[in-house]
This record gives sequence, C-alpha cells and structure tokens, in this order.
Amino acid sequence: MSQVRPIGYKAYSPRPFLKKDREKVEILFGGLSWRAENVLQALFENLGYLARPLPPPTREDLMLGRELADIGQCCPTSFTAGNLANFLRTETDRIGPDAVVENYVYLTAGACGACRFGQYRQSYELALRGLGLDSFRMFLLAQDELDQGEIAGGGIEMNMPLTIGALWAVLCTDVLQSLEYQTRPYEVTKGQTDKVVRESVDFLCDKFRKRPYRGKKLGVLVWHLTTNYFVDALREVFDRFKAIEVDRLQAKPVVKITGEFYIQTVEGAPSYDIHAWLENEGSEVYPAAVATWFDYLFRIRAQAIAEYVGIKPRARIELARIKGLHYLYGWAYNRLRAALRNIPHEMPSQSELRRLAAPYYHHRLQGGEGDMLIGKALWAHLRNKAHMICELSPYGCLPNTMSVGAMAGVLGDHPDLLYAPLEVKGDAEVHALSRCQMVLTEAKKRAKSEFEAALEQSGLTLEMARERLDAMPEMKKATYHVPGHGWVGIGANLVTELARESGR
Amino acid sequence: MWRTWFGTGHSGSARPRSELRVGIPRTLNVWSTHQFWVAFFAALGLQPSRIVFSSNTSEEQGRNFGRGRGTVDCCYPVKCMSGHYGELVFGQKRKVDILFSPMIRSLPSLLSGHVVDLLSCPRVMAGPESTKAGFIREKDAFAEQSIRYVAPLVCLAEPVLVPRQLHESLADVIPGLTYRETRAAVDAGFAALEDFSNAARAQSRDILRQCARKNDPCILVLARPYHMDPGIGHEIEVDLQACGYPVLWTQYLPTDADVMDWLFGEDIRSGDISSPFDISDVWPSSYSSNTNEIIWGAKVGSRIPWVTCVIRLASYECGMDQPTFSPVQKIVESSGTLFFSFQDLDCTKPAGALKIRVETIRHYVGQHGKRIITRKLAGLGKPCPFTV
Ligand code: SF4
Ligand code: SF4
Repeated sequence: MSQVRPIGYKAYSPRPFLKKDREKVEILFGGLSWRAENVLQALFENLGYLARPLPPPTREDLMLGRELADIGQCCPTSFTAGNLANFLRTETDRIGPDAVVENYVYLTAGACGACRFGQYRQSYELALRGLGLDSFRMFLLAQDELDQGEIAGGGIEMNMPLTIGALWAVLCTDVLQSLEYQTRPYEVTKGQTDKVVRESVDFLCDKFRKRPYRGKKLGVLVWHLTTNYFVDALREVFDRFKAIEVDRLQAKPVVKITGEFYIQTVEGAPSYDIHAWLENEGSEVYPAAVATWFDYLFRIRAQAIAEYVGIKPRARIELARIKGLHYLYGWAYNRLRAALRNIPHEMPSQSELRRLAAPYYHHRLQGGEGDMLIGKALWAHLRNKAHMICELSPYGCLPNTMSVGAMAGVLGDHPDLLYAPLEVKGDAEVHALSRCQMVLTEAKKRAKSEFEAALEQSGLTLEMARERLDAMPEMKKATYHVPGHGWVGIGANLVTELARESGR
Repeated sequence: MWRTWFGTGHSGSARPRSELRVGIPRTLNVWSTHQFWVAFFAALGLQPSRIVFSSNTSEEQGRNFGRGRGTVDCCYPVKCMSGHYGELVFGQKRKVDILFSPMIRSLPSLLSGHVVDLLSCPRVMAGPESTKAGFIREKDAFAEQSIRYVAPLVCLAEPVLVPRQLHESLADVIPGLTYRETRAAVDAGFAALEDFSNAARAQSRDILRQCARKNDPCILVLARPYHMDPGIGHEIEVDLQACGYPVLWTQYLPTDADVMDWLFGEDIRSGDISSPFDISDVWPSSYSSNTNEIIWGAKVGSRIPWVTCVIRLASYECGMDQPTFSPVQKIVESSGTLFFSFQDLDCTKPAGALKIRVETIRHYVGQHGKRIITRKLAGLGKPCPFTV
C-alpha cells in the first residue's frame, strides 16, 4: 500500500535564474557600506550583470522586517529582511508583482554559521510570503568560498572573477573609509571630505567597471595580487585628498567601533547613525573594517584545521596552505593601504586578537565576531589605538550577548578601559546615545589631558604649536601622515611631531 | 611534573584522583551529555559519587547563589547559569575541588552525517565564558574558594578531537593524567552516552508499541534538551503525563530501520529525501544540532499515528527557535496532528495559564485522539513495526 505523506510544508526553493535572463534580470544586494555597495555594483557590471544595491536601510525597514518575519529576531535580520521587503513592495506598487518576481533576484551572504546568520533564509522566506511574493528568487551564498561555481541555475557564476573582485572592492573601500574618517573631523572646509569621497568612489567604480579580463581561475587571483591597477587607482584617490586642508591640532577622542558585523559596518539607521553622531559630538571615529572580518574568516578556517594536525594526514599541508593565503591577504591589504601612504588603520593581527581575548573568550567559540570583540577592545586599549570602545550589539543577537557578558571579566582586570556597549534595537536611540554620551565625556577628558601632556612634554603652548604648524603647510593637508609618538589622539601626536620637526 | 603531581596551592591538583570532587553545572547541553561526563570522569578514576551536579534550576537557586553575578540579559537557560555556578562554588556542604563547565561547541546527534553541521547555539557554547565573568570581575571567586575552574571547549560531534581537547584542559588539574587514558575515558564516555540513548529509544519504542496495541494517543515534546529541567520547561510534560498520556521526547524517538522505513521509505524512494534523517526538504539551514533535531522530530511526530499531539517548548528571548516556529507548526499540522506551543518560557512558572492550557490539550487529545490515529494510520503502509 502506498503512503499518504504529510507534505504540507516544504522549504523555500527558488526557481532557477538562467544565464539567458542575465540581461533582463537585475540582481539586488545590500548589507555593506554605501562605498562598497557602489563599487560592487560596478564590479557586477564589469562581469556583464545588471545589479543594484538596495536603498540605505531605514527604521521603516526594521519595522516592516519585524512585522513580516518575526518580532524577536536579531535586528540585523529585521533590517535586511525589511529593507528587501520595502523595496519589493514599492516596486510591486509601481510595476506589479509579476514583473517584480521576473525582473529581480536577491543575492546575499547567509548560508553559514551557528547563529541567526545561518537562518536568514527563513526570515526572508517569511517576509516574501508575507508580501505575497513567494515566487521571488533569492540566493544565499557561503561567505567563505571563493569558487562556488554556477548558482541559481546558471544566472550567477560565483567564480573567482566575482569573489576576488568583490574582495578587492571591499579592501579598496575599506582603506578609503579609514582615510575619510581620519580626515573629516579635522577638515577646515565643512563638507569637503564628503565631496572628495563621493568623487573617489565614483572614480573607483569606473576602475572596477573597466577591470581587465584575466580568466576565471587562478590567473585572476595572481593578477589581483600583483597588478598596480588598484594601487594606482588609490594613488589617484590620494591625490584628490591632497586638496583637503585639515586642522589636526585638536584634542579629539578616538572612538573605536566594534560590534556585530552588519550593525558596525552599515553606517546609518541600523546603528543609530552612531558614526555621524560621534563625529558631531567632537570625536574621531575609528570605523570597523570589513577587511578584518575576512581576516578572521581565514583564522577560523586555520583554527579548525589546526585541531586536526597530528590526527588527519593532510591537515598540516592544508594548514600551511590556508596560512599562506592568509598571509597574502594581509599583504594585499597593506599594499592598498600603502597607496594611501599608510594613513588608513592597520589590520590588527589575528593572533594578537586571539591571544588578548584568550583569558576571557575561547577562540573557537563560533558565531558573530567570536573572540574578536574582546580581542579588539583590548587591542585598541592596550595598544593606544583608541580612547574608548563603542560596541554595537544588536538586540536579540546570540553571540554578542555572550561576549558582552565576558567583557565584565575584562573590565574587572582593566578598569580603565572605556567601554560603551550599546544595545541596538532600532527604536531606543535616545537611551543608547545617552549611554554612549556618558562614556564619551570621559573619553573627551582623556583626550584633552593627553593633548595637554603632549604640549607640556614638548615645551610648547598651543599658540606656539599653531605657529609652527602654519609654517609647515604640508602638515595641514589631509594626506600628511602624522607619525605615532605613543599618544592615542592625532592632535597629541602632531604636537610631539611639531616639536621634533622644529628641533631638527 | 612536580606541579602536576603535588599541586600549586589549588586543592584541585593536590589530592589523589579518587578524592577529587568535581562540580558540574546542570545546565544547557549537559542535559543531553551528562552520561558522557559521568562515565568519562569515572574512567579516569574519580568516584562517581564525587561527581556533583548542581540542582535543577529554580528561582530560589538564582536568588541564593546567582544574585549580582549575572553579566547578560538573554534567554533564561543561559541567565540561570550564574545560580548553578554559585550553588557549586558557595552552596556545597563538601566543597568541590573542580568546577567543570564544558563549552560544548558541537553535539553528538542522531542526524550526524545527514545535516550541514551539528553546532550548538552560540549561547550554549559561550554560556560558561559569560557566566565565569560574573565570578571573576571583582575578585576571583573560584580562587578564593580554592576551586579550579575548568571550562574546556569540546567538539563532541568530532570525537577524534575530544581526547586532546580534554587532556589539554585537565592535565593540570587531574594528577598524572595522560593522553592515552584520556582517550580511553573519552571512548568510555561516548559508549555510555550511546548506551543511554539506545535504552531511552528502546523505551520510547516500547511506549509506542503499547499505544499501538491499545490504539491510545501519546504526546511528543519538541524542545531543547534543557527544557527537561523543571525550572526551564516548567514540567509541562509532567502535567500532561498526569492526564494519562505517555510523553515522548524528540531526542529519544526510536530510530530503528524498520520504523524509519515505515515512516519515510516512500519519500526516500520518490527521491524527496536521501535518508530518514535528511531534513533538507524542510530545513536546508541545518547548522544547529538541537534545532535540527527539533525539525526532524516534527517530521517524525507528524507521521507516527499515535503521536496525536505535539507540544513545542521554547524559552523567552531564544533567538534560535524563532525561525523554526512556523515550519515546525506547518510540518506537524500537515498530517492533522494537534500542535500546541509554549513559546515564552521564562524563570517564573505561569502556573494558572499553564493549567488552563494543559486542560485544553487534554480536552482536544481526548476528543480527537482516536480519529487522528485512524487517519494517520491510513496514510501509512503495512506492516506496522509497532504491531508486528
Ligand atoms: S551575529 Fe547576532 S545579529 Fe548577527 S546574524 Fe548572528 S545573531 Fe544576528
Ligand atoms: S537555543 Fe535559545 S534558549 Fe537555548 S541558549 Fe540558545 S538562545 Fe538560549
């Protein structure tokens, strides 16, 4: 007798997106900074795809995400699901549901991991069903594989030209962002940095759009590693920054942003516009680089393999291979950084992050940023990289709550570490910002006393320092790299440098 | 060597093995692995009577031992850990020498080899780290009580890694511990765990056999293992059992080949799934071990005829369970099986509300149980493995 099977529920499975439809179907994507998204769009165009980033996420997206998916999910899930849903809803009103499901597909990372990141599929699925767009196609990618071959029925080739290109797009925009955040707080003409950054992003887009074809396999990797194409592009960006005059003779607290990947990366509503808010409050923001996340992914892979050394025959060789790639990755980042005269922040060494976090958080605890949250906070504090840490912790985040908890132990051992963990709910901004404000006040005091100590140590008054600075116009350009003299703040380091320069 | 044998001030390393007392917090996935730990330590020469588990979770425990030690605001199964730690550190008549709180990164599972991964929830893995912080932030409470705190990270889903992971963390604590004996103890642990699971599965099969014989309904609980803790799951299943319905837990459903073939054979032959333990048709993001088992349990529960009702337990602020609510309900209800969900379990037992819901469940199962059994039975082939 044949069985009557209960098949009332089947997981979402998208219709194929065929190669022949590439010219009329637009790939939607999001979840990164606007700089990276723009350059990625250009990269897609370079490879013959139609693509566009979703509009910047808003609080309405969060609300819609909660309404359509589930209310208790972590807020990055709500933001991203709502962001997609809002766009699709608007488009449905404009062109109708049939055209929406035919004209667009959505591509996102999410097919991995222990936390909600590995379950994004379900939230998107609920959101699509809620909109009545069940047949809309979305495709999830593993974030840690360079060559995933054809996906989605052949419409998208997740191959080396795309993944390596995307990696370089992230690296280039990361170093640009770092330069931008070290410039804007000190710009003399308000708005000039933003203008130059926009032009620079447009310029980088043009370079990525015109990226030469270098095959589909290893040749692409070798070319990206060895070419001067991107280095030269960033040098041109650097030249644009030369026009920006800055006044760095100021005591501004440096605030390192850490936290969950999405919330710390996307500037804007998902993070309460904290980057802009901190700058308005008189700080220099040390933004979180996406590059560090990829650096961490190398470490995760290496750590997993390392456990098998002595147990599995080829583990040692595999470990050496991953370590080699990891080294090359760091080298590639530093090359791009050097094109901006090493002003962009360096990537913290993963082994150092691991070592610093070890007494408080095991390196193999997976999910979110793992031990990096603790490692980064200690690194920034002990290595004089920032006056204060602002950790953005999404409401409902599984791993972040754990590392915030473990930070209690860190603070017990390092009571002088200024730490502002902010729970980001999307709708409790005033509370979060006022909490941040309290710690920031302390950070400002530290920056000020450090600045005064630098003046005292160098035997200068502020007026004398300014006089000397006025006499050295090169040092008033955004492209002047102020050497570190052991102070956290750029102002204090500049004072010491001025004293040295004039002593020469 | 000297240090290993004679200790360095902590009593944990100063006493012979047979005298060591080990305290283990009865929390999270210790609920599904405790047989492993008991057999492991026993194989190393520790007295089973000296392996102490903290009590079941209770508000009183939290008040007495965990107050002021919490570092996070999250789901109760993690939040309550401070009380368990506190009870082992401060609440033992005979002090423990070692507080052993494993960070279980991945779990042994009946679905091993059929799913993408077998990871624990990130909070299950890291719960010990955030709980520890509450005991060291002002001063080291473990050191003050001369207790060695040991929290090894263990990948129980990758047995070959476990001996090294445990040896590294315990070599300094258990006098003279060698890698070889750790490996043997790990084998003993896994064997004990398997024996226990097999016995529990056999018991479940027995229950189903009785249900089949009498054509009686039973109830299946879909929950995480720690919902067996009366302070976490609030004994909802006990109340239901008191109504006369046998209760099965997902984790210990029978997995014998004849049963699996009876339930899933057709799906395998039609190519929908590749094995009875394949859940990719309903849950492709199968990374989390406990979640995977809940999803699989929903599939099994929707098919076994005598499972006329499935109850779902989930803790308030559980980030892992939320995305599963809708698929689980749809899977269960697709066969007409009754489904009731208790989604916001927290520290306090909402006794009044639970009573009403248990009454409701009793009423529905009583009213519709036989009809559901008949309908579900009609959909399955013969012979029935529970009646032959
Ligand atoms: S890291 Fe946290 S916020 Fe990010 S996806 Fe995972 S659970 Fe959500
Ligand atoms: S699975 Fe849910 S209840 Fe369990 S620890 Fe994770 S978040 Fe908490």
